[in-house]
Amino acid sequence: MTLRRPHGPPRLLVKALAVSFGTVAVLLVLVFLGVRMSVRDQVRRTVTQNLDISQRMLGALEDRRRHELRLQAETLAENPTLKAALDTWAAERDAATADGERSPLLATLQHELDKLAARVESDAVALASLDGETLAVAGRLSGAWVADAADARLLKTNASPAEDSLIRAGGTLFRVIRVPLMLDDGAVIGWLDLGTALDDHYALMLDQMSRLRTAIADGGTLIATTLTPRQAADFQVALRSSPLTSEPIDLARSSHAFREIGGVATARIYALSSVDDAAAAAIARINAVLAMLAVGAVLLALAGSVWLARRLSQPIEQLSRALDEMAAARDLSTPLAITGSSREVDLLTTTFNHLMKSVSDAEARTEAAYAGAIRALAAALDARDPYTAGHSERVSVLAVAIGRVLRLPDEDLEVLRLGALLHDIGKIGIPDDVLRKPGPLTDAEFEAIMEHPVVGARILRSIPFLHPHIDIVELHHERPDGLGYPKGLRGDDIPILARVVHVADAYDAITSARAYRQGRSSADALRELWRCAGTEYHAEIVAALARALPRLEPVTTPASSAGPADVRRMPSAPEALSA
Amino acid sequence: MALLMAAAVVRATPVPDQPQATGTISGRVTLTTRMRGVPIATSAYAPRTVTRQGSPGAPEMRSVIVYLKDVTFQGTLSATPASIRQEQESFSPRVVAVTRGSTVDFPNFDPYFHNVFSLSRTATFDLGRYPSGQTRTRRFDRPGLVKVYCHIHSQMSATILVLDHPYFTTPGDDGSFTLAGVPPGEYTLVGWHERVGEQLSPVTVRAGSTTAAAISLPVNDAP
Repeated sequence: MTLRRPHGPPRLLVKALAVSFGTVAVLLVLVFLGVRMSVRDQVRRTVTQNLDISQRMLGALEDRRRHELRLQAETLAENPTLKAALDTWAAERDAATADGERSPLLATLQHELDKLAARVESDAVALASLDGETLAVAGRLSGAWVADAADARLLKTNASPAEDSLIRAGGTLFRVIRVPLMLDDGAVIGWLDLGTALDDHYALMLDQMSRLRTAIADGGTLIATTLTPRQAADFQVALRSSPLTSEPIDLARSSHAFREIGGVATARIYALSSVDDAAAAAIARINAVLAMLAVGAVLLALAGSVWLARRLSQPIEQLSRALDEMAAARDLSTPLAITGSSREVDLLTTTFNHLMKSVSDAEARTEAAYAGAIRALAAALDARDPYTAGHSERVSVLAVAIGRVLRLPDEDLEVLRLGALLHDIGKIGIPDDVLRKPGPLTDAEFEAIMEHPVVGARILRSIPFLHPHIDIVELHHERPDGLGYPKGLRGDDIPILARVVHVADAYDAITSARAYRQGRSSADALRELWRCAGTEYHAEIVAALARALPRLEPVTTPASSAGPADVRRMPSAPEALSA
Repeated sequence: MALLMAAAVVRATPVPDQPQATGTISGRVTLTTRMRGVPIATSAYAPRTVTRQGSPGAPEMRSVIVYLKDVTFQGTLSATPASIRQEQESFSPRVVAVTRGSTVDFPNFDPYFHNVFSLSRTATFDLGRYPSGQTRTRRFDRPGLVKVYCHIHSQMSATILVLDHPYFTTPGDDGSFTLAGVPPGEYTLVGWHERVGEQLSPVTVRAGSTTAAAISLPVNDAP
């Protein structure tokens, strides 16, 4: 009940959920960051490894292509028409027979070269004489070749280089394979040049082949690339600024690994791969996995928290309910059951039981102390009149004895014992001279005496602990015939405890001495009681008293020394005074 | 064979048809560099995919012709027929000189087809392809240089020097040559090699005497 308060601290379940969700969230975030970093690292390694492989593959492929192109060039250089026309042209020029007009031989050469260019994977095919003069050019970029007097540059390599050479013609960079045209006397009669333009077209081809970004640079200047303009600009800066290492570089805020896959003279071809792009895909996959993990973890945490909270809060609620019941029943003595749900709850229960035990012990001591005080008070009251000294004590003993005979429960006996002690507490308000007055009382005095049960009840009402005894104090002068006071109850309307105390009180009064008479014997008292049984006293109580007396005689004999044998000799009860 | 051929050429030197005193030019041709056999590194890879028959290995001197330049010959020019054999995927000899109006035979001694064609302006022709054992003949009526090739085997080449006069010869293997029956006068002696071209040397021929001449064909600056 107490746990269901709408306001106040949150419930245990809420706290458990908060703690476990918080833990899960922190763990997930840490795992995410860790995995992300390690994945990025892994991807970077993989990308670099792939680049290394690509470097080798592309390098080998490039070598292969160049080899094949060279073979192709050498095959083209075996063209008989080309050779015949070139050699004849040279011979006739040597023989000084040329007359300035364009020789049909040159037209033949151009025509042959056009046909060759159509079949070869080159951007420009050129035929040069031994003097280095370009006699014919064909191919896609023949215009650029002619425009920049490439022959002048090629002249410097007027040999048969094993390596490719690099020339710049018409703003285009060409990688050139040069093969000789030879006759069978071993003489070289001219050169066939196959130029491959290192331009965007070439970069794109490499890109499509390798699925890597490619860039071509000559002497630190970017010439062609498949990078985006921003990346290209960054790469240009990187090329210029420092000697390139194999470490990844940032291009347009994206880390790129790169490798050189080939080069001719000052020209370099690079393959680049974005680490971030590759990592993004992997991280997206891992995010998906982590999201699933997160959902799973949250569900687990939810289930775990609910279970745990149940395990914790159920015993506590049980405990709380038990306490509520205990409070409602005002029963402090019954120990709470050990639930066994958890050591802590059991400890709490045990501790509480100890507390309750000590509380009830304290209460018992308090009650004992109360009882002692009340007994003292009652004795003090009794002592106001020497003739009634010890009266309350005796009535109490007698009443309990009667109660035993009547087989009243223990609780009632306890109430009876204390109630009987207190039955005349109301006489505290009666002046001493009235109480001790030896002679007959006036009406006013008599009324004052008759007030004492009401006064006593009023006193007891202010003490909650004595509430059970109010009836005894208030009603111990009621009579079965309804002539008693203060309420005039009849018969069975009078509580049994009040009836018992009434009889015990009367018996003690009869057997006690008074200022004006001797105490009468027990037998007289019984006789007197029997005489009035049914009217003044309840008959069954008197019967019970008769049975109880023999067992009590040695103890309860009051100041009078009269034994039971004198009972019949005793005069009848004193005047109306029976208190 | 080649020797015989060369002898034939020499023997074909025209006999003067008018009884006129003539002189002789005699000398030696020196080759200052080996023209053949210098290996050329063409590439890092296997240089050629074509396998060839070995060259007949004729001495380099047989590719040399010694003649007088710009001579106006008076009289009837006799024909000096020659023959260029096609054997082992080569023309042999590689160089011949003939007088204008002479014919040249191209017998095929190889077991496969050959072709003879020329793109030279002096004589543009194509004898077509013909099998082993056949011979085709071409007559050259204009003086000048005729380069001959085979369309089937691109490395084959030969040169025919068609001259307007009979004053020419091929040196012997040792380089010695003799030009007899030359009218007295000032001449330009030419030592010609198919790769080097003409090497000029002025000579004076006196009747009845022998003029000594030395021709040095220079180092080719190619490879």
